[in-house]
Amino acid sequence: MNSQGGISKAGGGGSSATATSSWVSPTSVSTSGKRIQREMTELNMDPPPDCSAGPKGDNLYHWISTVIGPPGTPYQGGIFFLDLMFPSDYPFKPPTFILQVVFKTRIYHCNVDSAGNLSLDILKDSWSPALTITKVLLAIRSIFTHPDPYNPLVPSIAHLYLADRAKHDELAAEWTLRFAK
Amino acid sequence: MGRGKVIDDAVMNFAVTGKDHHFLVDADLEDEFSDSFRCSVCLDLLYKPIVLCCGHISCFWCVHRSMNGLGESTCPICRHPYNHFPTICQMLHFLLFKLYPIAYTRREEQTLEEEMETGFFSPQFCYKECNSDLQHHHPMDGKHALDSCFLRNGEFCASTQQIESVKSVSMIQVPTVSIPNKVCDENCCMIKPDSVEENNLPEDKSNRNCKQVSIADVQCNTCKQLLFHPVVLNCGHVYCETCIGPVNEMLTCQVCQSLHPGGLPKVCLEFDHFLEEYFPTEYAMRIEAVQAKQVSVKFQHPITCSTKACEKSFQSSFVTTSENLSWRADPHSKVHPRVGCDSCGVYPIVGDRYKCKDCVEEVGFDLCGECYNTCSKRPGRFSQQHTSEHKFELVKSNIIHDIMLRLVTGQLDSAGDDASGISENESPAPILSSDAQDSSSNNLASAVTHPDSAEDENETQTTR
Repeated sequence: MNSQGGISKAGGGGSSATATSSWVSPTSVSTSGKRIQREMTELNMDPPPDCSAGPKGDNLYHWISTVIGPPGTPYQGGIFFLDLMFPSDYPFKPPTFILQVVFKTRIYHCNVDSAGNLSLDILKDSWSPALTITKVLLAIRSIFTHPDPYNPLVPSIAHLYLADRAKHDELAAEWTLRFAK
Repeated sequence: MGRGKVIDDAVMNFAVTGKDHHFLVDADLEDEFSDSFRCSVCLDLLYKPIVLCCGHISCFWCVHRSMNGLGESTCPICRHPYNHFPTICQMLHFLLFKLYPIAYTRREEQTLEEEMETGFFSPQFCYKECNSDLQHHHPMDGKHALDSCFLRNGEFCASTQQIESVKSVSMIQVPTVSIPNKVCDENCCMIKPDSVEENNLPEDKSNRNCKQVSIADVQCNTCKQLLFHPVVLNCGHVYCETCIGPVNEMLTCQVCQSLHPGGLPKVCLEFDHFLEEYFPTEYAMRIEAVQAKQVSVKFQHPITCSTKACEKSFQSSFVTTSENLSWRADPHSKVHPRVGCDSCGVYPIVGDRYKCKDCVEEVGFDLCGECYNTCSKRPGRFSQQHTSEHKFELVKSNIIHDIMLRLVTGQLDSAGDDASGISENESPAPILSSDAQDSSSNNLASAVTHPDSAEDENETQTTR
């Protein structure tokens, strides 16, 4: 059983999903498409708290999500927009998250850099095909309450978070007020 | 235990156009299935279920695609490490077909369509024979059942061109394979039309649950009683936890005599819960019987997820995830990336790899050194039409391939690190896979253009 060709082919799931194109055409309902549709159905029926997500336009592989800053954090009340990109071999490869600057939304967070990129272990090496967008959104929500300053994308923020938590929270709240409300 | 939700047509039809509609059409008429039989990877009803040694179930293709072709794989649910691609659990396969005929048929159709697109086919099982004979010899003589049920649909793969030219499943007429036919979707999807009556398949939706599951469908291969704490071996055969007992050496399946690598398997809890719910009285009796037995013979080896027995065997080369990267740095590594053994299922093959020269299927037929030397007679993991007359050749790890692969995996590592640093609408993964494909095709090309060197590398083996 030699699946050298099979991995990418099978992963692409559809004849339209060639190895060179990153995104499957919106009309192709392949393995990944069916799985994304199922996730969408479930997300609509049982959405996680303070989160929402859905496809952008008619492209099933490009979603937009909002996460509301959880109460009790400096991000409280802020509405943060995220872009979700599904690879054509999802769920065998993790979706890439791009915290986009929508309505100039920015966030002061040690795990999110100025371009909006997010460092989250389950979106990289710790990804498992059994994880879903619902679980990923919950993980994102949890880094609002518990930032991980030991694996930072912005070391200066992480440093401030560890050294002067009050100052960090003040800045984060200010950014939230400025960009996310 | 929750119930699988009926698919909401309105939502499901989102972004679905034209030809993709048909599999959604009767979604609301479909049987609801228990959440315990939902695959956590595709989030649909399990199809051709495989039980991993940690006891978690997934579909054939979901397991295959989740596996790591370069080293140790981990369970999608519990991240339990494993190296062998297990065989489909036929007991669960036929059980699910009996429980949810319509949903299971839909899954079969979908899977077959995907397989036609990709050109890689999973093993096919003949329902007719298994359904009619299941109660007579399946539990008693599982080997016979396995052999007779294992339909080799080689012509299926051989006629790929024909398949590619035909868009709809229902138009293909391959007599040896029970291709689901949408026209007679309600009554004969998985069974050839002529066998409908004798199999007493549901004729319409009102009595579609007429096929009741009996204890004979869920018997232990050893004690011939209702399964209690079922465990599934690598070969796909099911036993009670108490019937396999503690073993010092490698576990051997009593039905097919194949070895079970990786120590004692863990109880398949989803299956166990189903049995407890479906056969409450019989299950209670089994509990009593087992408890009575345990009073006299103390059960010494409880099987848990953390069972360390597996470390004794093969795993020495891949103990931890970080260590399994070491072969990339080692130029003398004998890993055959993305090549699995069709007998024991080890994936990827480490050490000698014997490739069948006569199997025409794209998947190919390969054996690891150990299985080659033990003259394994098991059929392929996919739909290969391999026979004992076929000749093998020894394939050594190609140094050019290794270098190419290391380049690719080097990109993989850096891409992995930068995954969050990509802000364009471009994912690293598909680019990588194209590179991987290029490297493998380059490698193939080099093998073709340099037949001399290829000859040096491959020692032709004689017929076995």
